[in-house]
Amino acid sequence: MYILRHMTPAPLTVEPDVLIPEAREILRSNRFRHLPVIDEDWRLVGMVTDRDIRSAYPSSVLSGEERRHELEQVSKTPVSEIMSTDLVNLLPHSTIDDALLLLEKKKVGAIPVLDEKGVIVGIFSMRDLIRAYKRIFGLAEKGSSLVTIRDDGEPNVLARIVKILEQKGIPFTRLSRTKLTEDERSPVIVYIRVQTYNISAVHSVLVSAGFELVDPEPLLPEDRHLNS
Amino acid sequence: MSRFRPIALVTDPRYLDHDTANSLHPEIPARLEGILKRLESSPLAPYLKKITPRKAEMNRVLAVHDEDYLSSFEGTCISGREFFGHPDNRLGYDSYEIALLAAGGCLSGIDIIENGESELVFCCIRPPGHHAETAQALGFCFLNNVAIAARYWKDVHGKERILIIDWDAHHGNGIQEVFEHDPDVFYISIHEHPTFSFPGTGYSNETGTGAGEGATLNIPLPPGSGDEAILNALKGRVGEAVKEFRPEAIIVAAGFDAHVMDDMSGLAYTTKLYGYLGTFMAFWAERYCKGKVLSVLEGGYHLEALPASVEAYLAGLSVCID
Repeated sequence: MYILRHMTPAPLTVEPDVLIPEAREILRSNRFRHLPVIDEDWRLVGMVTDRDIRSAYPSSVLSGEERRHELEQVSKTPVSEIMSTDLVNLLPHSTIDDALLLLEKKKVGAIPVLDEKGVIVGIFSMRDLIRAYKRIFGLAEKGSSLVTIRDDGEPNVLARIVKILEQKGIPFTRLSRTKLTEDERSPVIVYIRVQTYNISAVHSVLVSAGFELVDPEPLLPEDRHLNS
Repeated sequence: MSRFRPIALVTDPRYLDHDTANSLHPEIPARLEGILKRLESSPLAPYLKKITPRKAEMNRVLAVHDEDYLSSFEGTCISGREFFGHPDNRLGYDSYEIALLAAGGCLSGIDIIENGESELVFCCIRPPGHHAETAQALGFCFLNNVAIAARYWKDVHGKERILIIDWDAHHGNGIQEVFEHDPDVFYISIHEHPTFSFPGTGYSNETGTGAGEGATLNIPLPPGSGDEAILNALKGRVGEAVKEFRPEAIIVAAGFDAHVMDDMSGLAYTTKLYGYLGTFMAFWAERYCKGKVLSVLEGGYHLEALPASVEAYLAGLSVCID
């Protein structure tokens, strides 16, 4: 769960006196959106995004003369003029949960990862987050399937499920217990990600242990039109 | 004027020899026995002609699968082990030979279509194939019968644009893997949404790669979806895609496990729906392929729903509407 294992290590960086057109070219040719700005000791001093750069360039509605003038200005401007200095960062031992909360709170697309001296060691983007959670949840993992049962309200529900599955030799990779919606009265559902095609065998094992199978997520009549 | 067009039924008692014996395994010989028994006493019976399959030639299988994979499959059978790769993929001593006979059944079927013996062919075979990848057995499948058939149709009979339409409840990851780079083989699959269902692939954003971009169409349906959902898909996006692709040959990966009584999926089709599927397939075959279509059995595990649904499908496929 540590960021260290999920971040992009050793990201491309620029120094503050790099000119805007050069920074733009780095982002464009590498197809990413966030460029950390560092000082001579590799410490983070700012972040430049493709959006900062776009807004530095003159508007296309300007007249030819004005536009040429502004373009000339931009081509002489260093990134230090447009970078954001209101910075947040993660540490190598921050978790991907920290990252998710921070990305959500700060409404940014990527966060630099700094060591204890403030030296940049990586960058963690929304894409890295998606990839990390995809792996954790087993999304699109080939050969897997989701079986859902209702929490029977009796003690040790997860332990009982694990025991049954292991006894019967049913391969599974994830087990989670959650309310279907945030509503207080919402039923509590247990999701089991099994690694087998033989779903009917899984069903019969669970049913004979007294569990009730439920729809993974019952669609309401009013949702039906969304189907096709 | 007869009520139904003739159908060539490719099948063989040896298909029962693929032994998955285990009290909880659903892919069992009784599936085929049930279908054949039902068809014998069906109004379709006079229109059915049984065809004995041949064993697939090795070069046809190698057009899809890795050589190492095949030898390890064969070795597993001979060694007496009970499964290959994953406990789902149960097998017996004869399974390798039977799998070759299943793939070969599709090739015999294509020859029958091509030499004008029959426009309609139904391959009543097992083991099924659409989960099998180039080098991986998955979900009771060892050799990808449909993929081997498509390559054969192209390589031997020169068909340039082949449509594979798969309405088994599960995504045919194997067929997709074999053809995702190929712009000339269009794979369309309608299946239960992969978030909830085996094999966890077939999201709608999987549309082919490289030169094959756009030649894969995945239509996932939420659990609980019934006849209306799939019919809407066929009338809408599938119909448009077929029209645009203009296939020269059509292969149907015909799985019957989306039936409401079949507990291998959360989909809820009725028996009648399979009749409609038959008419859709016949309609496209008529429009683009002079009425010719190869249908290949995939899943379907409920021992009453499966035979009834196959019968309904074949009736819809062959009925004369004039």
